[in-house]
Amino acid sequence: MRAAVHHWEAWAPGVEDEAAWRRWCADPKELEREGCPDARFLPALLRRRCGPLARIMLTTAFRCCETHAGAPLATVFASRHGNINESVELLERLAHRQPLSPTSFSHSVHNAQAGLFSIAASNREASSSIAAQQDTFMCGWIEALTLLERAPARPVLLVMGDVPLASPFAPLVDEPETSYALALLLSAAAQDEGLRFSIEGGQARQRRPRWPDALEFLRWMLGDTTRLELASGPRRYVWQRD
Amino acid sequence: MVNALGRTPDEIWPRLLAADRSGFHTRDDIVPGRSLWLAEVEGRLPRIPQRLRRFDCRNNALTAAALEQIESRISDVVCAVGAERVGVVMGTSTSGVSDAEAAIRHRVRTQQLTESFDYDQLELGGTASFVAELLGLGGPAYTISTACSSGARALASARSLISIGLCDAVVAGATDSICGLTTNGFSALQAISDEVTNPCSANRRGLTLGEGSAVFLVTRGDADIRLRGVGESSEGHHMSAPDPSGEGAEKAMCGALRDADLDASDIVYLNLHGTGTTLNDAMECAAIERVFERVPPCSSTKSLVGHTLGAAGAMEAGFCWMVLERALREPPGPAHLALPPHAFDGEVDPALGALDLARAGAQAPMGAIMSNSFGFGGNNCTLVLEASPS
Repeated sequence: MRAAVHHWEAWAPGVEDEAAWRRWCADPKELEREGCPDARFLPALLRRRCGPLARIMLTTAFRCCETHAGAPLATVFASRHGNINESVELLERLAHRQPLSPTSFSHSVHNAQAGLFSIAASNREASSSIAAQQDTFMCGWIEALTLLERAPARPVLLVMGDVPLASPFAPLVDEPETSYALALLLSAAAQDEGLRFSIEGGQARQRRPRWPDALEFLRWMLGDTTRLELASGPRRYVWQRD
Repeated sequence: MVNALGRTPDEIWPRLLAADRSGFHTRDDIVPGRSLWLAEVEGRLPRIPQRLRRFDCRNNALTAAALEQIESRISDVVCAVGAERVGVVMGTSTSGVSDAEAAIRHRVRTQQLTESFDYDQLELGGTASFVAELLGLGGPAYTISTACSSGARALASARSLISIGLCDAVVAGATDSICGLTTNGFSALQAISDEVTNPCSANRRGLTLGEGSAVFLVTRGDADIRLRGVGESSEGHHMSAPDPSGEGAEKAMCGALRDADLDASDIVYLNLHGTGTTLNDAMECAAIERVFERVPPCSSTKSLVGHTLGAAGAMEAGFCWMVLERALREPPGPAHLALPPHAFDGEVDPALGALDLARAGAQAPMGAIMSNSFGFGGNNCTLVLEASPS
């Protein structure tokens, strides 16, 4: 199945607009660990409740659909860790037998970003929130394809983002630690257009990427090679353009 | 399937039809200062194999208990199409958070997480990875976590993965387990009833939490039961309360009918989201009245197995599947569907309009049936299932 990327937006600390991302893609360096945008487009009441991940993901999401204002748009919010740092705070409160704040609880769920986007953008369309360990970006792409399958005329906004894990769990996960999001506005594409996606089996080589897969995808998208392969465990995820 | 009513469909089905509410019990050790009704799965769960011990948590043990029941069918399909063509889509809202709670409690005392804890238990994606690794599946494997619609969405995505050709079959379903986070969180939201939940009653005071797992093998082509329609919407209303107009619910139900290419009058049974909160039942019933000229028999099964949150959409699709599958087993002749009765105190809230709540022994003619799942954060998904006798 093919999908075309109509627009993209990305954010990481210090790499915050298109020109900066084009420079980074041509000459990528390790990204900063922490930081988040001001997200002034959000109403103050909503913004106050948003942690760093929500601010970063929603910033790329809103910028990415500016050109698409008002038209129906399905969304996929993909994040490996989601709001787990917020959950850790709640678990520590529970360990001390302290009561939870209802607002903190309702903003700690994995689909909080999806809910906030739907409220702030008045979006009533289908929305999914996924996680898939090391394969989260690739599975976010796959989930976006499933939404295009169900409604081929309706574009899908795919937003992938993460922030570094909080201290109790950080030592348990080996991955590039950076705060970032990538938003892609996708539509179903005809046979000779867009990007072809497939999954190939066989023994993939193990790799420890230097930056998140979503940003590797962005580098490829802005470059000129025809094939991108992101491998993980037994799966090789392949994008091709003609 | 596994839930407070039993460990297999054969155990669960008669208790579902008998509106057996004995699966509920109280616990006073989970929310400080409160005695809470819960629908927990009793007894021992399967052991997680040693090679997968990094996934060893109650949530995954519940999934394993459900998977055991369809393992041979999955093996047959893997033999036929190859492991790399079989995907996994699981829904969950809790993953292994109950085990993470123990690890964090230990850390508060000792500065160290428990030795048995691994992040694979807690991260949401681990729920799907566990299934893929347990069964040796090589297709895409991911977890959907959209609160109470997660399990319904997992089935919707499974169908689409097959339709776009990325998979020939998908193991899809959902699991949630009772934990401190959800019990204390929903308690803080004042969403939990002091009595066992009483959906659509004038006396309803909130939901009762449950746990369990329901998994399906979704394949291409002719099966006895088909997932015929999927409808979805977001509400853009509030992070933890449904839009009182029911517009989001209406859009999901209408979308599912359109996708199924059916009229509302073709639906012979509706499994309600029916959480028993004041707001949910009011908005759901308002939406149903607008979608259906004549409301079909309805019931909420949450007053039998509790609200299993991330698993609810798959659990209730599983009940719908059982309704259809049991009817297909009947001897030749016009088949009738035996419907799960709506278990509550019998005092229908007159404000909810013209509801036809299924009574004990209720039947419907063979036809399409609908299941509603409306999630926290305004995420709705409605499924339509039907039998296609071969």
